[in-house]
Order: sequence, then structure tokens, then C-alpha cells
Amino acid sequence: MRLNILIGGKAGQGINKISEIVSCTLTAHGYFIFNYRDYPSIIRGGHNFNVLSISDEKISSHESRIQGIVAMDDKTIGLHEKELEQDGFSIKPDEFLEFGRNLNVALAGALIKILGIKKELLLEEIKEQLNNPESIKAAEAGFASQKEKFNLKKLNNKLTILNGSEAVAQGAINSKLDIYLAYPMTPATPVLHELASKQIENKFLVFQPENEIAVANAALGASFSGAKVMVGTSGGGFDLMTEALSLQGISEIPLTVYLASRPGPGTSIPTYTLQNDLDIALRGGHGEFPRVVIAPGNPKESAETTNQALYLAQKFNTLSIILSDKHLGESAFSFSEKINPPLKVEVKRTVPGEKVVRASSYEHDKFGNTTEDGQIAVENADNRMKKYQEIKKECEKFEMIKFHGKKDSKNLIIGWGSTAGAITDAIKGLDFKFLQVIYLKPLSNQIKTEMEKAKKVILIENNVTGQLGRLIREKTGISIPKENRILKYDGRPFRSDELREEILKK
Amino acid sequence: MKKPFKTEAEITWCPGCPNFMILESVRKTLMNLSEQGVQQKDFAMATGIGCHGKMFDYLDISGIYGLHGRVIPTMLGIKLGNPNLTVLGFAGDGDTYAEGMGHFVHAGRYNANITLIVHDNQAFALTTGQATPTSQKGYKNKAMPFGKPTLALNPIKLALTSRASFVARCNARDIAHTSEILEKAIKHNGFSFVEILQDCISFNLETNNRDKQMYKFSQPCKDQEQALKLADEWDYDDGKGKIALGIFWQDTTRTPLEEELPQLKELLKKKVGWTGFKR
Repeated sequence: MRLNILIGGKAGQGINKISEIVSCTLTAHGYFIFNYRDYPSIIRGGHNFNVLSISDEKISSHESRIQGIVAMDDKTIGLHEKELEQDGFSIKPDEFLEFGRNLNVALAGALIKILGIKKELLLEEIKEQLNNPESIKAAEAGFASQKEKFNLKKLNNKLTILNGSEAVAQGAINSKLDIYLAYPMTPATPVLHELASKQIENKFLVFQPENEIAVANAALGASFSGAKVMVGTSGGGFDLMTEALSLQGISEIPLTVYLASRPGPGTSIPTYTLQNDLDIALRGGHGEFPRVVIAPGNPKESAETTNQALYLAQKFNTLSIILSDKHLGESAFSFSEKINPPLKVEVKRTVPGEKVVRASSYEHDKFGNTTEDGQIAVENADNRMKKYQEIKKECEKFEMIKFHGKKDSKNLIIGWGSTAGAITDAIKGLDFKFLQVIYLKPLSNQIKTEMEKAKKVILIENNVTGQLGRLIREKTGISIPKENRILKYDGRPFRSDELREEILKK
Repeated sequence: MKKPFKTEAEITWCPGCPNFMILESVRKTLMNLSEQGVQQKDFAMATGIGCHGKMFDYLDISGIYGLHGRVIPTMLGIKLGNPNLTVLGFAGDGDTYAEGMGHFVHAGRYNANITLIVHDNQAFALTTGQATPTSQKGYKNKAMPFGKPTLALNPIKLALTSRASFVARCNARDIAHTSEILEKAIKHNGFSFVEILQDCISFNLETNNRDKQMYKFSQPCKDQEQALKLADEWDYDDGKGKIALGIFWQDTTRTPLEEELPQLKELLKKKVGWTGFKR
């Protein structure tokens, strides 16, 4: 069973609240959800929509075919009617306009009735989220206005809903983060908001400096004096940080970066999604120095890899980057698995206040003093590379790659990050094995073995040039031919039904 | 015997550079403060890149030899990481007013309890003498053979209008006065900005030997208007006028950033950094 409901309206009307109320009601009823958000860079007006996908089994994507439209304005119907299946339903705002600000709550009530879920569950959710008489009245009126179309019987799944951003924040809190620094930039900002709202109860600090250059340099300062620090940004902000990342390389002050990518170059289509920043995550910053780049594919992995990134940064005094994007960061997933208990993140190095400690941007001797000695420069460079080997060994303890689909299939799909959800859903029942790359640096040696074993290898990425494909070619010498690459770069994520068709054509 | 607060690194400034005197002023200040109870391990510094940056190699305290232009955010970070540290920053005029200007104008309103010391020699000396924002108009250098076409900046006025709560200027050659000002700056509970005027003996020589123009005033100005007027007496462009040295402005009523943030307030109260903090 799979339904996709499109919920649309003007920015500021509150479509996300509809998704939230319905998602929470459905998961409490045992159903899996996936909520995709599509919105332009507009605060009020325009046209936003969500696609809320519902299933009785685990899903991590939305689809192109729509079984229902929930419209907060007429434009939504006009724009999306053509996507609606023949026997699909639509709920229009006209009869609920009297509810004013609670129009969205009324529509949520109407949708819950159509899905055939009991009113009590809806009201419980409304009371938990809004708890005011007007909202309850609107929900009841919405519910009463519709006829049941589906009959979603109660399932026994115990589910959690999280989006990628909430999960990164959760991973940071689980790791006992001390300081989060960020300058606002979509789509990294939700992590800033989430952590800011939780800083007092969890006793850590969130601070927003004047720009990303200040963010990165202040992060190194704070890490130097003993705090466990993470910064968050998107591509443009990351560009500004790269000189400080290079300073990290030589000063070996631990630093963790959350990089949530969006389409570039330039400002491009800023509220949409693209996996186009793998290259800068791998190489941003002048000079040659170790780093770790990890790309989770769902919220559970987001929380766990954030913990791993913070752990590795402290253990090896290194740079670790959690690479996500708008699609993972802002889509809501439901899941039944528990997030693994965190690794303990400890600051073991000596910090100022204990004794004199020195960190330098220059090549330096063992006292931290500047040196231009060629011999020491070579020794230090070699030590940095030796450290990378140790990091690599440690990373092998983690899930650097993950397999989905038919495990013994000779048809191999390779992808990473937020596309993992659509790929996993697209190959259900097909003769395909999906290798999800989680660690981009270091890269698992197993990838080469798997590629050599396969009859056919397909690369799927949400970017123009196939950046993972290039990385794999660099590390394995194996090139995935152009005709076997599925690349999408209109700023929209893959929809699993369309992707399935594409895969079958290969 | 090893001198207090001094490393054994070989000093590589040009012989006769006033930076030697700035180093002595700072050492004197740190010795005074250590006699008053601040321990050597509780100082931390950030330095930029330029001749001033070499202070990092010569001063025996904790610190980060950071990036060009980023002394202020680095200091801010050190303070956020442990508000109990006494944080100093050494920066150059190119470092602070060119590359790092985006941070300088915010430092005053943040008002973290840190002290920024700018070695202003009105030139990019370590890159062989190009013009900085405080170089005088018309200054001929290898990058501007026909002379600097743009006007100079008055950092004192900028600091005053950017709400720095402690603004002072001194002369590198006057060790006693400089260390007296530095001690007051460090003790000030908020953002302190101290500009030290120094000659560069290799580049921009026409700005050298201004001691005769300089005079010291003893009390901070009563209001901003008076402070701005005093700062205006000397024009960084034509070099004319009297150069006032002393504390232009001190506002002791401001709350420092660390005390505005409850998390850091708790670290201050418990006298620990994040590493010593128990949740």
C-alpha cells in the first residue's frame, strides 16, 4: 500500500503543519511516512508544496503519481491537477475559509477522515501540538466534512519521525557537543535552529558570529581552548571557511563541519537540492592534509555519523565533515530502528589553562615555534599522512558502505547521501544490489571488489557531473560509462517510481 | 637564564624594529599581571600574519598563530571555549583594517572580554611595503608606483563609533606608557582595543619619527564627542597635527559577552572551561 498526498499553498499559510499533524497521527497509527518539501525562496506568497508519502512498509522517498491533493489555495489545484490519478481526491479550501489561521488544521482533519483514521487519534495530536479551542474546532469540522475513502487499519509499528537536520542535531547532543557556531544559510539553518532551541536544557552554547569566516576561525579558537565544536553551513559559506579548514590541517585543532549542500554555482536555486559539493568537501582548503567526509543517507545515519565525525575529530585532532543536502536535511522520515548508542567523544589533549599550549598556521617544531627547516617540513607532512592512515584504520570499524536490495545480484547500483532513499525504494523487487557509500573519505576498498564482481554498474547521483563516479575512478581506476550514469540536476530529488523506470532502461 | 614570558626562539625582526619594544611592553605587562595573580597558563593569545605575528614565537604563553586577518574571531573563539582565560590578540594594521575589517567593526558591539593590540606601522611590511588602510594617501610603494590613490582610515574613530568599550593609543617606543595602557586594557571587563603606533624602519619611512608630535593625556574622555575630537587631531593622511596618546574611551557599565550568555556565565562561576564542565 502506498499513497502520495500533495499538500500545497502559499508560503506562510502553514502547509508544513498539515504534514506534521497528519504524519504524527499516521505514525501513531503504525504507518510509515516520508514528507518531501518543495518551496521557493519566498517568505509570504508564491507556491509551496509538500508530498506526503504514506505506506504500510518502510519508505524513504516520494513518488510522482499523486492520489490526493490538499489545497490551501486555488493555485495548488491548477498547478498539480495534472499529476492527480484518475480516481484521486482533492480537498479545497473554500468551505473552511471561516477558520482563518486554522484553515490548515481543518484541512488536516479532512485528510485524516479520508484516510479512514479515527477522530480520537487526530484530536489527541491536535491537543498535543496546538491545544486551543479554535484549532480543535477546525479539526473537528474538517473531519466531519469528508467521507472515508481509505481504511487504514491500525498497524503495530513503533515509529519515530525525524528529518535529517533534527537527526544531525540529535547526534551532536548525543556526543555532548559544547559549542555550535553557524551563520544562517539554507539548508543548514534548520540545524542551527534546532540546536539553539535545545541549548539551555542540554547545557551547550549556540552562537552566530558575523560571517562564515568568523564562524570557522572562532570554532578553531574554541576547540583550541578545549570545547567540542561543530559548525554548520552550505556551499557558499563552506567556500568562505576553507582557509580556516586549511589552518585546521596544520594546527591540528579538532573541527567538525556540517555541510548541507544546495544547488550551485552561485546562489542558483537556493531552496532546492543537489549533491554538487562532494568535490569541495573532499578538497576545500589549500595544501594537503587529512580529513574525513561522511555522507549519511537517512536520519538514523545522520545522527550516528554526526557522532562518528565528532569522535574522529577529537581522537585524531582532525577535520571531519558531515555532508548532507537539502533533501535529506528537510525531508521527514519515519523509522522503527533505534539510533545506536553514541561513541564517547572525549577531549584528551592538553588545553590552555592547564599549561602553555601552542598551535600554529606555520610549519612548526615540537615547541610550536615557527620553522622553515625543510627536514621538519617533510617530517610534519609525513606525520600528517601517517595520521590519515590511522584514521582510515579507525573508520574501518564503522559502516563505511552499506548494501540494499538483492544481495547476490550481479547488477550493482552505486550512490551516496540523500539519493539512498529513492534508490532503495526504486529497486524493491528488482534484480539489483545497491551499494550506498557512506564514507567518501576514506573510501572503502570493498567498492572496487564489488565493482569487479558485478556484471553491470550503474551510478546514480543528484548532480551534473557524477562526482562520486569521478572519486571512484580516481581511487579504483574503474570508470562507470556515461550510458550507465543516471544524473538528475533540476534541483529536485529523485522520485522513486520515476527512478525505477530509469533503472530498468539501463 | 630564560626571561619570564619569553621563549628561546631567535628573533627575526629587522634590527632596531620597534616590535622589540612592543614585545618588552607586553612582557612587562604580563609580569605585572602575574605578580597580581594571573598565572602564565591562564593567558592565551591569537596572532595574525605579518611582522607583528612573530610575537607568537617570542611570547611564552598559549596561543594560536592563526590566519591573516582573523585574530578577532580566533580570540573570540578561545574565549567562548574557556571564558576564564585572559585572551590577548596581536594583529597588524593590514591584518585588522584590510583583511579583517569585517570582524573589527563587530568586536565592539559583541564586547567579549578580550584585548586586541594592533601594531600599526602603516604598511604591509612582511610583504615588502605595500599600502594598508592606514598608509597615507600618496604613499609610493612597489604596488602603487604613482602613490596610494585612496584616503587613510582613522581606526580610533572607527573603534569609537563601533562601540568598543575601551579604546586607546600608544607609542611603541614608550615602554612604560604602553605597558601601563596594556595592563588597563587587559583588566577592562569587555572588548579593549589598543593601537600601538610604530615606525617601520624598512618601508614607508616618511611616517617615521613622529615622537615630537605625540603627547599623552591622562584621563579617558567623558563622552564620545570629546573622544572623537581628540582622535581627529591627527590625520593619518597628511601626518599633521598632534598625536594624542592614552585611553580615549572606557565604558565600565557594559556587560561583557560571556556574562550575557548563561552557559558561559556558569563556566565563569565554576572557574572551568568546557573540558572541566560537568553536565
